[in-house]
Amino acid sequence: MTLQEQIRANRWRTLWLLFLFAVLVGVLALVLGYVFQPSLLVVVGVIGIVYGIFSWLSAGGIVAAATGAHPADRAQYPRLFHVVETVAIAAGLPQPPPIYVVDDRAPNAFAAGRSPDKAYVCVTTGLLDLMSERELEGVIAHELSHIRNRDVRLMTLVAVLVGVVALLSDFLLRISFFGGGRRSGGSAGAIAFALGLAALVIAPIAAVLIQLAVSRRREYLADASAAEITGDGEGLALALRKLEIDQTSTAHASRAVAHLYIENPQNQATGVSTAFRGMFDTHPPLEARIHALEEAGGFRLAPA
Amino acid sequence: MWVAIVVGAVVVLLLLYLVYTYNRLVRLRNETETGWANIDVQLRRRYDLVPNLVEAVKGYAAHERDTFEEVTQARVQAEQAPGPAAAAEANEHLGGALNRLIAVSEAYPQLRASENFLALQQELADIEDKLAAARRYYNQTVYRYHSIMQSFPPVLIAKPFGFHEREFFGTDERDAPVVSFAQQ
Repeated sequence: MTLQEQIRANRWRTLWLLFLFAVLVGVLALVLGYVFQPSLLVVVGVIGIVYGIFSWLSAGGIVAAATGAHPADRAQYPRLFHVVETVAIAAGLPQPPPIYVVDDRAPNAFAAGRSPDKAYVCVTTGLLDLMSERELEGVIAHELSHIRNRDVRLMTLVAVLVGVVALLSDFLLRISFFGGGRRSGGSAGAIAFALGLAALVIAPIAAVLIQLAVSRRREYLADASAAEITGDGEGLALALRKLEIDQTSTAHASRAVAHLYIENPQNQATGVSTAFRGMFDTHPPLEARIHALEEAGGFRLAPA
Repeated sequence: MWVAIVVGAVVVLLLLYLVYTYNRLVRLRNETETGWANIDVQLRRRYDLVPNLVEAVKGYAAHERDTFEEVTQARVQAEQAPGPAAAAEANEHLGGALNRLIAVSEAYPQLRASENFLALQQELADIEDKLAAARRYYNQTVYRYHSIMQSFPPVLIAKPFGFHEREFFGTDERDAPVVSFAQQ
C-alpha cells in the first residue's frame, strides 16, 4: 500500500471504529435501560460522552501520564535527538515530533497523539541503553511511520474508547451489585438482569477485541515503511531481534496503551495457551516481523 | 436526447479525472519542493560552518594554506551552483575538501583537544547525516513524481499544465542503504 492509500484506509477505519463503538454502547445502553431505570441510561450516556470528549482532547497527556513519559532533555540525550531529527527528515515530516522518555529498564517505544502535528515519540531508557545508533534509527523510523500514515490517531482513539468502556462498565457493575433500582421481580426481570450482566462482561471484551484487530497488521506496514525511510531494513530487524531476546516487562503499560508500543510490553515467560495467546496478542510475533523484513530487504540475520 | 446525456456524462467524467490527476500532480510536486527545502536547510548549515571550521584549524595549523584555500573555493562554488544536479556535484567536491581539512587536523593534538573544534566536528557529522536523510527523501519524491507524470493518461495532462521534471540531487547509487559510522 502506498502512503496515501494507508492514510485513506485509516480514515475509513477510524469512522468504522467510531460507528461500531457507538452501536456497541447503544446496545449496552438499551439492555441496561430495560434492566435498570431509563433515567440511569441518560446519566451513563452523558458521563460516557463527556469523559470520551475530555480524554480525546487531552489524549496525548493522558497517554503520557499512563505510561510515565516525560519530555526528554536535549543535553541529556543528544544521540536520541540526533536520530529522531534525522529520521524525521528522511520521512519527510514537516518538523521533528516532540520527544518523550520513560525511565524504565525494559526496552520499548511508542508514538501517541491526536493528529500528526500533535503526535510525539517516546522511548524507554532501556531502549537507549540496548540499541546501537543504527538499530535506534530503525525503531524511530517505525514510530514515525505510524505518525505519518495516521495510525497514531486511530490507535490513540482506541486507547480513549477502551478507557471509556472500562469506566462505564466499572461504574455499572458497581451499581448492579448494590441492586440499584431494579424494575421488577419475577422471571422476566431475572432474565433481563442476567442479560444485563452478560452485556457488562461482553462489552469490555468486545472493546479489547476491537483494540487488537486494529493494531496487528499495521505493525508489518510500519516495519516496511521504516525500512523504506532509513533504507536499512536490517537495522530494524536487528533491533527487533534484540527486543525478542530481552525478557523485561515494561512497568507502566496497562492494557489500554499496550497496542501503542513497538513490542508488546507484557512479556509473558509462560503463556496460558499458545492458541489463545495468538488471538489476544496486540502484536504479531517478532520472529514473523523479522522474517518479513528479511524477505523484503534480501538479507538474513544470524539465528537467535 | 440520449446522445446528449451520454456525451454530457463522458465530459463530466473526463473533467473529474482531470481534476483528480491535476491535484495528484500538484501534491507530488509539493512533496519534491518540501524535499528540496529540507536539503537546502542542511546545505546552508554546511556553508555557514565552513568559515568557522577553517578559522578553528587556522589557529593551530596556519601553514596548511592550500587546504584552507581549497575548502573556501569549494564552498563558493557549491553556494553558486544552479539547480540540484550541479549543487550535488559541487557539494561532493566540498565534502571531499572538508574531509581533507579534518584529516589535516589529525596531525595537531592540541587542535583535536580544543573544545571548539570538537563541537564543530560534531556539528559537521550531524549535518552530513541529515543531508543524507534529506537527499534520500528528496530523490524518492522526485522518483515518485516522475513515475506518475510519465505514465500514460497523466502524461497528457502534465505537459500542458506546466508540470516539469525535476533534477535528482546526486546519483541514485548513493541512496543505497546507508550504514551509520557511529556504531557502538
